[in-house]
Amino acid sequence: MWYTWIILDKRTLKIPFASEKHALIAKQTIEVDPELQPHAVKRIITVEENVLIAAFSTLTIRLARLVANAFLENVDLVVRTLEQFGEEAENPPSS
Amino acid sequence: MPGKIRKTPLMEAGRDYLALGLEGSANKFGAGIMKHPKDGAATVLSNIRHTYITPPGEGFQPRDTALHHREWALKIINDCLAKAGVSMHEIDCICFTKGPGMGAPLQSVALIARTLSLLFNKPLVGVNHCVGHIEMGREITGAQNPVVLYVSGGNTQVIAYSRQCYRIFGETLDIAVGNCLDRFARIINLSNDPSPGYNIEQEAKKGKRLVSLPYATKGMDVSLSGILSAVEAYTLDKRLHEEGAEDKDLITPQDLCFSLQETVFAMLVEITERAMAHIGSKEVLIVGGVGSNERLQQMMGIMAHERQGQVFATDERFCIDNGIMIAQAGLLSYRMGYETPLAKSTCTQRFRTDEVHVAWRN
Repeated sequence: MWYTWIILDKRTLKIPFASEKHALIAKQTIEVDPELQPHAVKRIITVEENVLIAAFSTLTIRLARLVANAFLENVDLVVRTLEQFGEEAENPPSS
Repeated sequence: MPGKIRKTPLMEAGRDYLALGLEGSANKFGAGIMKHPKDGAATVLSNIRHTYITPPGEGFQPRDTALHHREWALKIINDCLAKAGVSMHEIDCICFTKGPGMGAPLQSVALIARTLSLLFNKPLVGVNHCVGHIEMGREITGAQNPVVLYVSGGNTQVIAYSRQCYRIFGETLDIAVGNCLDRFARIINLSNDPSPGYNIEQEAKKGKRLVSLPYATKGMDVSLSGILSAVEAYTLDKRLHEEGAEDKDLITPQDLCFSLQETVFAMLVEITERAMAHIGSKEVLIVGGVGSNERLQQMMGIMAHERQGQVFATDERFCIDNGIMIAQAGLLSYRMGYETPLAKSTCTQRFRTDEVHVAWRN
């Protein structure tokens, strides 16, 4: 029996995905690492406008919790990096 | 710097190159910026590191270490850029440790590297941690073609270069020498600040008795887990006291530190000497965290001197895991045309030194 859980990240309002570009960066950064248990976890990450959407299906509820936690921690790290360097990236020095 | 006359596949720089290096395979997070100017020697623009220090008696676990890196990384990268006086836009490539090391910490650093790469449109270069140590040691000391002793908490290898490959001549069959020392430091509850190995070194200086420990070289390799068990057994010995006396049959923890160091370092010197004899080299380069141990440098120096050779070692800025070594090795790869595509920028806990194609040497 598969437990399906879609995370519609309503906290995008608080997470500064200021643009579709940033949301895409998050998607491309996080999807590189495969799930640690690919036979027990199915993952689909998509982007709609500036919203990052992740859908997980897992074999146990415990796995769903672990996988969601890990994903959100990774999102947090990417968001903080974008926050720190995002502005500088938009303003290349004129030389 | 000496030795630039020899022909190498690495062309003259032609312009200034800048690389950002990010390292986080163990409990230290380091960021460094390396410059290869169009004419002149490589320059370290900045090299900043923060170590995750656990309380005495505890080692560092992957999850907590990853949390430490996630907490400190951005600040350190910022400080690094500020100190070097460069902006991310001027950087040519973002180098990060692909492996070997601990999974979660490595992945945390890789996530940051990928984000920066996509944000600033810079290529990624995945670097082998061991090759980073070797390249930084070569750059700083100017050693021509040394036998390299790479000793740290996670690795113990004797390496020599041949035909675009760093070949492993001898290594540990079980645990690394730094791991052995660190675990003993935990057993006797030494502080982990600044590092357990440093505190063992200081305690060893106060040791007076050499207790009998197994000496376990196996041909070109060494085995250390048996020695760890043996020295641990001494801590349960009735004769162990905090303060010994000359005439009584007492052993102090300082004596154990001293004996452990003397035994394992003698083994390392032996396997290094074997490799030197095998390839006829007169130079030894010691890299890796344990390389900052002065007693090891001294013992290696005695052996090298007897062979009319010399020992090269760097100080703790470059010996202990740091970001600049990743920048250096990464930039050398990059200048030879190597890049890591995003889809291949995963990390791996096992990454042999001899898997790397050393394109920048002939």
